[in-house]
Amino acid sequence: MVIMGGYGWILPINVKDKRIIIKVDDLTKRFSSGTALKGISFEVERGEMLGLLGPNGAGKTTTLRILAGFLAASEGSVRIDGVDVLEHSFEVRKRLGYLPENVPLYQEMRVDEYLNFRGRLKGMKTKRLRNRIDEVKSQCGLTEVSSRIIAHLSRGYHQRIGLADALLHEPELLLLDEPTIGLDPNQIRAIRDLVKVLGQKHTLVLSTHFLSEAEMLCDRVLILNHGKIAASDSPAVLTSLMKNKTMVVAELAGPHADVTAVLRALPGVTGLFWNPCPKAKDDQAAQEWNRYVMECDADADARCGVFEAASRRGWSLRELKQERKKLEDAFAEITGSAPMD
Amino acid sequence: MLAYFRAPLGYTVIIVFLAVSGLSFCRLLTQSATEQIQIGDILFGSAYFWLTLLLTIALISMPLFAEERNSGTLETLLTAPVTDVQVVLAKFAAAYMFILIMLAPTVLYGAFVFLLNAEGGSFSFRPIVAGYGIVLLIGAFYTAFGLLMSSLTRSMVVSAILCCVGMSATFLAENLQYAVHNSWLERVLGHISSVQHVMDFSRGIIDSQPVIFYLSGMVLFLYLAVKSIESRLWR
Repeated sequence: MVIMGGYGWILPINVKDKRIIIKVDDLTKRFSSGTALKGISFEVERGEMLGLLGPNGAGKTTTLRILAGFLAASEGSVRIDGVDVLEHSFEVRKRLGYLPENVPLYQEMRVDEYLNFRGRLKGMKTKRLRNRIDEVKSQCGLTEVSSRIIAHLSRGYHQRIGLADALLHEPELLLLDEPTIGLDPNQIRAIRDLVKVLGQKHTLVLSTHFLSEAEMLCDRVLILNHGKIAASDSPAVLTSLMKNKTMVVAELAGPHADVTAVLRALPGVTGLFWNPCPKAKDDQAAQEWNRYVMECDADADARCGVFEAASRRGWSLRELKQERKKLEDAFAEITGSAPMD
Repeated sequence: MLAYFRAPLGYTVIIVFLAVSGLSFCRLLTQSATEQIQIGDILFGSAYFWLTLLLTIALISMPLFAEERNSGTLETLLTAPVTDVQVVLAKFAAAYMFILIMLAPTVLYGAFVFLLNAEGGSFSFRPIVAGYGIVLLIGAFYTAFGLLMSSLTRSMVVSAILCCVGMSATFLAENLQYAVHNSWLERVLGHISSVQHVMDFSRGIIDSQPVIFYLSGMVLFLYLAVKSIESRLWR
């Protein structure tokens, strides 16, 4: 396709926005068991770290597989660096490194052997391959285990080997499917540090369940739910979220109807929930304590208002605090699970 | 560009089969030492030979794709910059080379017979070569079939069974031929009988028809295997 400029110049259409490395338009994927992706669209800029967040079955792995060229889209277009993923599959594969979920490896091979095999598979010449293998091994902390059989190594090492393999041909784009799943806390930390370092030089798309991980590592987060994009923004923005709220929690004893009326009328309060507090066994007091949770606008601090109201009307107050909503709450809200306390 | 790579097999497991096949051929030889038969019968007529050959091919080709599917390594394999065709051909080549290596020592048996042929009975090389030729072709045919079966399923056992069933179609054809009274079926079976082919060839009767059958069959199976792998895109 070419564009005819106004002066009769012919411009190649690939002089596109060079910032965008992944462009997904209206991507739909249907399986015999149902539709996994329902027309999602998003873009990824060069050098960005994008997190795919979502409950199981939301379509994260499917999206990554389509990006990697392992599956084909039922509808819609996926372009990496301007080229369609299916039509120019070879070109695309050379530019991306993919680490599937549960890091599949050939267990009977040794680390060096495996990396060698993968490198030759990717068409790398011997000399360059040898140098690259040494480089990625030191990058991923694999030099001590070079000649060990993969089956004898722990899961943390498997993950690193998978990463090393993905990095081997120096791709610009890395796709990581749940890179920290199944690891113990130390290993998780190690992988996250590694990913952070990688993020400085590569474009990364990683999928994860761990909201804190997404918060920690990603510039932008895409929340997928039931095959659709429920939210897309930087973690900070998502946290102060769509409803832009904080919560004030107060435990009060007082006439319930009055309390609810007054609390609702406080400036900045947009919602009120309450639960009766469980009674201690030997609590002789006649008072009934209730726990009130007020949803407030982010910039309003309803705590003073609650204290004043309680002291003026003689209600007993035994707890008053403000909680900022975390990304977890935002996530739960968006994906429709029960809101977390 | 990489057109050929060794598909990793369970090497140690395979060596066991090698030992078994070696043993069976030994027995073959000693068995026939006292008899005056045609070379072809000695080398290829024994049931041991066929059994081990079929079994080994089934067992070697079954993990080619099924194992990769199972362990998920198919994903990393197919997202590397290699075409599906390259993958299929390379796996086929690796499996077939293994079969060749396994059959190679049997040439020694031929050599032994030659050396032991002190009485100066008539001995010519050509039937042996022809016999080996057809066996190699048959091996390629079966290996391609096994590869196809492997690409269809996750389970190695299922693919091994499918492979054996398929191979027995040609293997048992000769026997079935006489059990079936339907005339056209009888002729079809007669044509595809592998055992018969091998016997003919090793007697020096070289016919292009089986050659074409095996070659085209092999190509067909490989093609179908490629299609089967491609189809994952749409599943």
